Amino acid sequence: MRLSRNTRKAISKAAAGVIVAIIVIVIAAGVGYWYYTTQQRGPTKIIWASTQLVPPEEQSFVKGTLLADFKKKTGIDVEFVGMSYSQMITRITSEEQAGKVTISLIGDLHGDLDMMASKGYLMDLSKFGTLPGRTFPKVLMNYAKLHGIQAYIPWMTATYVMVINKKAFKYLPPGLTEEDVIKGTSKWTYDALLAWAKNLYEKTGKKLLGFPAGPHGLFVRFLHGYLYPAFTGAQVKNFDSPDAVKMWQYLKKLWQYVNPASTTWDAMADPLLKGQVWIAWDHTARIKDAIEQEPNQFVVVPVPQGPKGRGFILVVAGLAIPKNAPNPKAAWKLIDYLTQPSTQVEVLKKTGFFPTVQEASKSIPSGALKVLAEGVNAQLNAPNALVAMIPSLGSKSGDFKSIYITAFRRIVLQGEDIQKVLSELGPQLMKLFKETGAPLPPPDSG
Amino acid sequence: MNSSDQNRKSFSIIERYLPYFLIAPALSYLLFFIGYPLTQGIILAFTDSRGHFTLAHINYLLYSPQSLFYAALKNTLMLAAVIIPIQVMIALGLSLLLSSSFVGRDLALYIVIIPLTISDVAGGLIWYSMLSTNGFFNKFLMAAGLIHSPIHFFGYQYRAMEFLAIVLAEVWRATAIVFVIIFAGLQMISREYIEAAEVFGASTWVKLRHIIFPMLKPSLQSALLIRTLFAFQVFGVVMVLAGRDIPVLAGEAYYEQTELYHYGVAALYAIIIAAISVIIGYIYIKMFKAQYIREVGAG
Repeated sequence: MRLSRNTRKAISKAAAGVIVAIIVIVIAAGVGYWYYTTQQRGPTKIIWASTQLVPPEEQSFVKGTLLADFKKKTGIDVEFVGMSYSQMITRITSEEQAGKVTISLIGDLHGDLDMMASKGYLMDLSKFGTLPGRTFPKVLMNYAKLHGIQAYIPWMTATYVMVINKKAFKYLPPGLTEEDVIKGTSKWTYDALLAWAKNLYEKTGKKLLGFPAGPHGLFVRFLHGYLYPAFTGAQVKNFDSPDAVKMWQYLKKLWQYVNPASTTWDAMADPLLKGQVWIAWDHTARIKDAIEQEPNQFVVVPVPQGPKGRGFILVVAGLAIPKNAPNPKAAWKLIDYLTQPSTQVEVLKKTGFFPTVQEASKSIPSGALKVLAEGVNAQLNAPNALVAMIPSLGSKSGDFKSIYITAFRRIVLQGEDIQKVLSELGPQLMKLFKETGAPLPPPDSG
Repeated sequence: MNSSDQNRKSFSIIERYLPYFLIAPALSYLLFFIGYPLTQGIILAFTDSRGHFTLAHINYLLYSPQSLFYAALKNTLMLAAVIIPIQVMIALGLSLLLSSSFVGRDLALYIVIIPLTISDVAGGLIWYSMLSTNGFFNKFLMAAGLIHSPIHFFGYQYRAMEFLAIVLAEVWRATAIVFVIIFAGLQMISREYIEAAEVFGASTWVKLRHIIFPMLKPSLQSALLIRTLFAFQVFGVVMVLAGRDIPVLAGEAYYEQTELYHYGVAALYAIIIAAISVIIGYIYIKMFKAQYIREVGAG
């Protein structure tokens, strides 16, 4: 190829330009990296790793409001690191085993903290003394004492409740009163719920009971933490039992009156507001919107009870300090801040997580939050309560959910033989606990 | 040997390596953003949490009672097989219609393209609220006295209707992209060919069959290619309208990853989607290229 002198000149100019550009970029990147890794050491910063309040909106509230306020009061800079459950377990395990801990404060659910305490990764918090001016309910404090230490301080609670559109009370089945439902008396049973849903369907022609059974809905919690304890007395150990067969038979009957679009719903606030359902079950955080928009239209009530009691899940999030944490004193100050009644009410307002200190409950403003809090309280104090906790299976927690969802899909949606499905899936469920060594969750563990 | 010869020598070295220099940024981009994730994906799919080689993820995918792989594969193929022909036909019809001039043509053009600006999840939500039991569609039919109780579109029991809803939403949402490509192709066909045909008294059909279709082929190829690749990634619309009632490949990948924490299985799904896309892309290119060359050769 022969090129004219001018073209060659132009090419060599272009080549020189490209080479210079590449060199400049490489140098700039190197300087940037050096600056980023070595020069960015501001004031002391502690790391707060949390599996809770991770969604973007909640995270911006934590960083922008809570931690900004905390910094103003104490001068301590906190880096909030949101992570998934399995990330948390992996990170704490590897940091503790390597003896190089970077995290000062952990915010996680009871089950995971139980697991960490059992491995000896957590500090005994009793040495920091008490937190003046606040009372934790005894039941919560008992859960927080694990493996001989005060493993965590109860931080927030959440649960799953039923929401009733007041219109539905006009169609109560005989023998059930509005008061029974709101207070959660022994007449408010799963059979009564079935009769109610049936009555609604027959009188209105619509299936007005709904569940969040979509791909990201929490219906699986209803299966293992509500129906199973209520019918079999346990979440896991009676998975394949005669009582469980009765439970699935019941659910098949109930499903005839459940809005079929339930399998596409991830949260119940929207179907409630649109009037597609009048009775719904969901996580408190996922129905908050509906109640906030129409606090006079909805009531929050305890779940019904079954033959073995009123099974419900209590989600308890706690704050713990890992052993060899770089800055335990600052972490304790943050715990102090996060458990103050005013902070706790703020968190409830923004996220729908309920306070763990009794002083906070008194200062909940009236309106939607009061409606929610009253329902949650009624559920906690209803007779025959059978508290279930979500088991801590780390990276296997997905398989745990999958087993219950698969059972539901095959038995209720596809109409397969109940006993056959349970016998097939039961051993897989037990295997998960054996493989991970995780303890059976309450109420199984008694 | 004079100095200009030496100059030429040093230039020829630059000439030889210049292309590599020029292509280096693009190549490193490809390596970093496609090569690296692809390798990581394959590693993820075939190793366990300790980094050892394993076939456990494949076994789960193919044989576990909890895996919905076969249903997902079937549904994805069926959706593609139903949606793409409808879209191509509508897009072709619209392009031919809009390439003739009439009053309000520009406005019509804009309206046809509007769905292109809406994301798939948003599009799915629009159709969900329109087709739900107390949505616009049912209210309209009830008010018109055509039906007495609402038509159910959603829920496991109504999977056929869910399928229909997905087809409707996808056709509405993604026909525009096919249309834009075909319409552009149509604009590029020189009027001279058609005028020449008209001189010889060719009918509309003959013009379509022997001038417009052959010359549209490259555009049709790109449109089909893009649309088919998108069809195998169908996700947002299905998630919104049918959840996991109608599992699809991309949806299962997402579900396995975010809900079940089966990262290896999710990676496998991604690899399968990529493999199908590559195969289909290859087939399209072979098919159209062969015909194109034959025609040129014959001409």
